[in-house]
Amino acid sequence: METELRTGVFICHCGINISGVLDIEDLCEYARTLPGVVTVQANLFTCAETGTSEIKAAVKEHDLNRVVVAACTPRTHEPIFRASCQEAGINPYFFEMVNIREHCSWVHRHDKEGAQAKARDLIRMGVAKALFLEPLETFRSKVEPKALVIGAGIAGMTSALAIANQGFEVILLEKEVEMGGLLRHLHKVAPSDMTAAELIGEKIAAIEKDKRIQCFTSAALEEVTGYVGNYAVRFSCGDESYSDKVGVIIVATGGASLKPVDLYNYDGEHVITQSELEIKLKDGNIGAKSIVMVQCVGARIPERNYCSRICCMVGIKNSLHIKEIVKDAKIFVLFRDIQAYGVENEALFFKAKEAGVRFIRYSLESPPVVEDGKVKIYHAGMGKEISLPADLVVLSTPIVAHDDAESISRILKVPIDEHKFFLEAHAKLSPLDFATSGIYLCGNAHYPATVREATYQALGAASRASIVLSHDTVERVGTVAAVKEELCSSCFACVKVCPYQVPHMNERGKAEIEPMQCQGCGICVAECPAEAIKFAYVSDEQITAACEALYAA
Amino acid sequence: MNKEVLVIGGGIAGIQACLDLADQGMTVYLVERLPSIGGKMAQLDKTFPTNDCSICIMGPKLFEVERHPNTQLLTYTEVEEVSGEAGNFTVKVRKKPRYVEEDKCTACGLCADKCPVAVPDQFNMGMSTRKAIYKYFPQGIPSVYTIDDSACRIFKGKKCNICAKICEAKAVNYEQKETVFELNVGAIIVATGFEVFDPSDIKPYGYRTIPDVITAMEFERLLNASGPTGGHLERPSSLKIKAEIRQLEKQIKKAKTRLKSLEKKSEESGDETRKALEEMNERLPVLQAKGASLEELRDIAFVQCVGSRDLRYNAHCCSYGCMHSVKEAVVATEHGSELQSTIFLTDMRAYGKGFHQYCLRGASEYGIQFVRGRVAEIGVGDDGRPAVWCEDMDTRKVEERPFDLVVLATACVPSKGIENLSSMIGFDLDENGFVKTDPNKPANTSVKGIFVCGCAEGPMDIPSSVSMASAAASMAVQTVKAL
Amino acid sequence: MNNFEPLIAVFSCHYCSYAAADLAGSSRIQYPPNTRIIKVPCTGRISVNHILRALECGADGVYVAGCLEGTCHFVSGNFKAKQRVQSAKSLLGEINIEPERVQMYFMSAAEGSKFANVAKEMTETIKELGPSPLKGTNTQ
Repeated sequence: METELRTGVFICHCGINISGVLDIEDLCEYARTLPGVVTVQANLFTCAETGTSEIKAAVKEHDLNRVVVAACTPRTHEPIFRASCQEAGINPYFFEMVNIREHCSWVHRHDKEGAQAKARDLIRMGVAKALFLEPLETFRSKVEPKALVIGAGIAGMTSALAIANQGFEVILLEKEVEMGGLLRHLHKVAPSDMTAAELIGEKIAAIEKDKRIQCFTSAALEEVTGYVGNYAVRFSCGDESYSDKVGVIIVATGGASLKPVDLYNYDGEHVITQSELEIKLKDGNIGAKSIVMVQCVGARIPERNYCSRICCMVGIKNSLHIKEIVKDAKIFVLFRDIQAYGVENEALFFKAKEAGVRFIRYSLESPPVVEDGKVKIYHAGMGKEISLPADLVVLSTPIVAHDDAESISRILKVPIDEHKFFLEAHAKLSPLDFATSGIYLCGNAHYPATVREATYQALGAASRASIVLSHDTVERVGTVAAVKEELCSSCFACVKVCPYQVPHMNERGKAEIEPMQCQGCGICVAECPAEAIKFAYVSDEQITAACEALYAA
Repeated sequence: MNKEVLVIGGGIAGIQACLDLADQGMTVYLVERLPSIGGKMAQLDKTFPTNDCSICIMGPKLFEVERHPNTQLLTYTEVEEVSGEAGNFTVKVRKKPRYVEEDKCTACGLCADKCPVAVPDQFNMGMSTRKAIYKYFPQGIPSVYTIDDSACRIFKGKKCNICAKICEAKAVNYEQKETVFELNVGAIIVATGFEVFDPSDIKPYGYRTIPDVITAMEFERLLNASGPTGGHLERPSSLKIKAEIRQLEKQIKKAKTRLKSLEKKSEESGDETRKALEEMNERLPVLQAKGASLEELRDIAFVQCVGSRDLRYNAHCCSYGCMHSVKEAVVATEHGSELQSTIFLTDMRAYGKGFHQYCLRGASEYGIQFVRGRVAEIGVGDDGRPAVWCEDMDTRKVEERPFDLVVLATACVPSKGIENLSSMIGFDLDENGFVKTDPNKPANTSVKGIFVCGCAEGPMDIPSSVSMASAAASMAVQTVKAL
Repeated sequence: MNNFEPLIAVFSCHYCSYAAADLAGSSRIQYPPNTRIIKVPCTGRISVNHILRALECGADGVYVAGCLEGTCHFVSGNFKAKQRVQSAKSLLGEINIEPERVQMYFMSAAEGSKFANVAKEMTETIKELGPSPLKGTNTQ
């Protein structure tokens, strides 16, 4: 059944902001001549209480089913008018806004004639487009109030506990035989000086006590399908296979410490890594007095051009711990730039210098040379090469991504960067979210982090995840693309072009777009050669109508 | 159990904490002392290492805070008193009068157009002026104007009601009074941010005495399209000369008119005016020539660790200064490709994701020169330009190098109100004046139910602030739910 | 003297160039009134057809204004738009219509002055070119 289209146009004076340049009376007269328009009103301020009441009254009086407001920018005011439409009983998406302030009266003050013509054109285009507006519905989908946390290092354990404390169930997967991650092998953590064992011990005890957390060790993630609020996950634990449903997923898979194979005569005995030094520190037996640490081993080099953030502080922390055990130890730290950012790190760096740890800078062009019992280094301050005695050489190697990062990224369909660290939705403002809603990340899986940083990232990821979990349903306004299956030629164009990898081929071999996952950009709509993708929010008909109304001969 | 939470501070950390809580169904009050939320991030031009436009990526969040059904935004408001305990805090707040009704103002800006009083614009670091009735910055939220009662004529007992007269929305209300009211909340998140260290304390750097020595935040505004120069990169001395030229031209015009009218009357002699005019006419080309010589900006120096990692001022590192300067150098080069940037640094702290590559690109694509060495002194060279004295640690040579502009990467210091807030609520500060936390519970202050995030806790970059804000939100929800 | 006042269609994305146009407004930066914005969520929404349709319907010039390269709100929409603008240009070239009538611009939401400058630049370019030969060919 075709209903008659009845459009109401409301033109705002905005005090004298619009009316000071444009002739509102003329615009009203003009709007009355446009197709589908049954009423036109001018308001002093359409957005004020009086203005929105006038819209609502007019909807009733004139039985309007389309509303066009010519005023300021939709970026700030569209929500107000959509709400008015809804209150008046019409679908909020039967509303169109025409910007005659920011885009007209304010910017063409000195050309009133031109501005007037433009305002008429813009109103004509808006009214033409309004005839093709479609009602949009909100999609709702039930939320499984349960989280999957992948990785039970400090980040994963912290996240799991936080989510449980916020009242939700958690499945915690750990691929190793026990929880604890990298911290299992460490001596003490800076700056609290707590032993790593004590720190993870507390967390493990809390997790084991918490009935809301199910922990699986020696576990592997196998398959994930679905979308935010409703992920079906399959994983194995030993020989058993498990399936479950979760609302959100947190990636806390951590990282590994690079093994410096073929670097600086690494032998695991006289030339060891910081991780191997931690084991000696745990045992309380260093077995050396002259110790040289080399920073940036395998980091900030062309093949691995990133700074691993934490190694300087690990070296500084461990040099202080050596001093605790071997009071008269002579320690040299050879570095390129000391990354003692912030308050605590800088204070610890200062403490190490006070404790007699010596720091010598080297450059990428002239790296230290490790020889039997000594390390040679060019000292810029002295302007010559010097030789440092070394019973023990400790190499500070970067945190690198785990080998399985790629497979996890494939299973979850979330991206990794060139160094195989997981890639967040936005470097600045969404550091803990993936672009795919319902999946989050924290800790070394994202990028090397200190215990403090991994902890707050884990808590933060728990907060992000709890946003979904704290609702019974997830909502998605219908500003989404949908495939008209009968027109689909299965060409994969949409699958290839979507920046979020949402379209997929269904069992009938046709493209399908899950509305809960669609971000509403419309890129696939324009790409589809068969014009088989419908985008009711900004349809081809609407764009064409606006184009056709561009020019009034 | 009280499900409401108070967030103090409307910078990026406070905003993120507020949104996380509101999205989890908590009722949140966001208190901001300035007329608009946005904080320091709103003042930045671009952000490293993606060169994203700062206000562009932040803008949608500002809207979201205002529109969210679970948030109540209290701008131009300060916390006065806090009592109670976790689960049940009573907070007295004072909302200052804007003298503009927030619900009536449509931010059309006519009032500011007509307002006769101009004062330095704080948002543009005092490098431009705003009116006594003003919007804190164009994209500010709430989008309403505010009367600065320390500048407005009405509040100085003078006659003026231009803004009230011109406002069609009848939003101006000179009689508006401050309001004091109480909030009852279950938890509080402190997100009061930081201050930029004032480098005028460091005498050898000549800030405020040598023209064209500016702070990084000032430079940020000079780069910005809505900044004092509209994004045209210019040194302050050139701006100053241009203002002088404009002033002089005005005076010349005035003198000419006066001379004309004197000639008509021919009663009194115009000798004095004529003489003054001649003098001014002689001065004008001199100024113009000087202005033209300052037009072109080729060499910029960035001085790192100004007031940071320096026991005389602040022992700590500002965490973001190195990247901030590299970013400014990159962005400046995009303004003018002839530009040469030199960064004088102690350690290059490019420790975040993508930072090291950003620096490498800065050197290879933007030609940034990195000099390792701490600047000892900034003087004035023979040509009047600032000159940087520094020992290059690699070559061990002490050099004096002139630049067109010197940008000081200033320290990140605790916000001014934090001491007061700490004594009001009872949480501890660390020896540097930032809020003290437990490293293993990084969002917890020493008081139960009070959490902290962002630079209130210590210097950190934007993603760290955002992550920590979410962490504080999680802790607040956990606290409230456990009660 | 050239009295021709061109009509220019602008496809603007919600997140960047539309916001830049708003900022030009709130900063009162004046520019010629020849542009007509059609707002889309992302410039990736715009197809070659839309661009050609605007020309057929009477626009003398068309430009697509998206986010700065690398900062598209929808990751790669502006990049797709750039490719499509390029195709539209070569199609025009094939039928002997000046490809300069169609352009792609990139700007951030904070670049109000850039929006105004682009509007100015495009108006001048199209003025030089004169009315579009496609004007009035809309047979719908």
